[in-house]
Amino acid sequence: MERSIERIWKEGFLESDALVAPKLNNLYTRKSIHIIDKFTRMFKINLKAIVVFSFVVLVASFFAKIPVLGVLMFILFNTIVIVNRKLLKGLKEIDKNVSSYQYLKDFDNWMKEQILTNVKMSRFIYPYIFLAMLAGFWFSSSFQETLDEVLGSHQIYFLKGIPVFWVLGILLITGVLAYFGGALYKLDLKIVYGRVLKKLDEIIADMDELKAE
Amino acid sequence: MSNDFYTTSIFPHAGMIIKICRAYTDTQEDFEDYYQEVCLQIWRSREQFRGESKWSTWIYRLSLNICLTLIKKKKNNRQHTNSNHLPIEAVDENHSFTDESLNLLYDAIRQLSEIDRAVILLYLEEKPYEIIADIIGTSPNNIAVRITRIKERLKKRLDGKVN
Repeated sequence: MERSIERIWKEGFLESDALVAPKLNNLYTRKSIHIIDKFTRMFKINLKAIVVFSFVVLVASFFAKIPVLGVLMFILFNTIVIVNRKLLKGLKEIDKNVSSYQYLKDFDNWMKEQILTNVKMSRFIYPYIFLAMLAGFWFSSSFQETLDEVLGSHQIYFLKGIPVFWVLGILLITGVLAYFGGALYKLDLKIVYGRVLKKLDEIIADMDELKAE
Repeated sequence: MSNDFYTTSIFPHAGMIIKICRAYTDTQEDFEDYYQEVCLQIWRSREQFRGESKWSTWIYRLSLNICLTLIKKKKNNRQHTNSNHLPIEAVDENHSFTDESLNLLYDAIRQLSEIDRAVILLYLEEKPYEIIADIIGTSPNNIAVRITRIKERLKKRLDGKVN
């Protein structure tokens, strides 16, 4: 007669080697593989790097005589840092000591919020960078000289005082960057965390089904 | 983590953690990573223990939640399938027990969904339906229905293989 799964479970663990705990190696200094810790680490490293980079860009822009670009980029980078610091706070507040459903929902809600925030920001960030570069170079005296050299005798077409083709070109590039900004962020996220996010969706769907039974 | 905390507060429940981690991993390497990670997270979260449940139940809850959201180091060879047979490449000899029936049962459990694994592990550990429902986050009635289905599925998969 076949044994029940309860008996297999009970008798199987009577074997002396069935429950040998693995050795703990440098546990305290170990790099956590937990998704929340990974996100926290990634956020912290990114934010520090962005702050440092914003100062480097600011200082460099004055040396390169494009201070407008430097100041605009400094404002952008530090806005990104402030927004993501708020997101990080929410991540740290996720309690692991709740039911599995609640825990996964809390994490999923945080993920959705951070994706939405970053997608929204990405739609502005890329066009902003483009326009900041444009403004930076436009107000740079050295760039004006270079532009005059490049254009030579070419005359810009103006319609009622507006350089129509230039404006259209700028609008087109800005639109494309705004359109693809969010998609670029999503693609980046999918490459790095796609597997985990898919797993999370599946578990929550299963949980919802279990709750509805 | 101090050795004292591990020895006095985690090690007595190591068996339970091992059983959970084994159900969520296919290789010995992943299993060791999961075990260490669960211990690390228990230590980090220890101040969240408010004494509303037993320490062992709290560890169970935390271990499950951690295992549900861990990132495996590398892609596993295993292809999850509904068939009664596991692909040959899924076998990791170091990740096996000496009891062949227990190995078959674990293989069958690993083919369940993540939540079904949690439910059946708690059931096999003889936790009352109320506790299982509380840990998972649903009602005891739903748990009872789900356990019946899971047991049927496991029985089907083990049919004729164990004696």
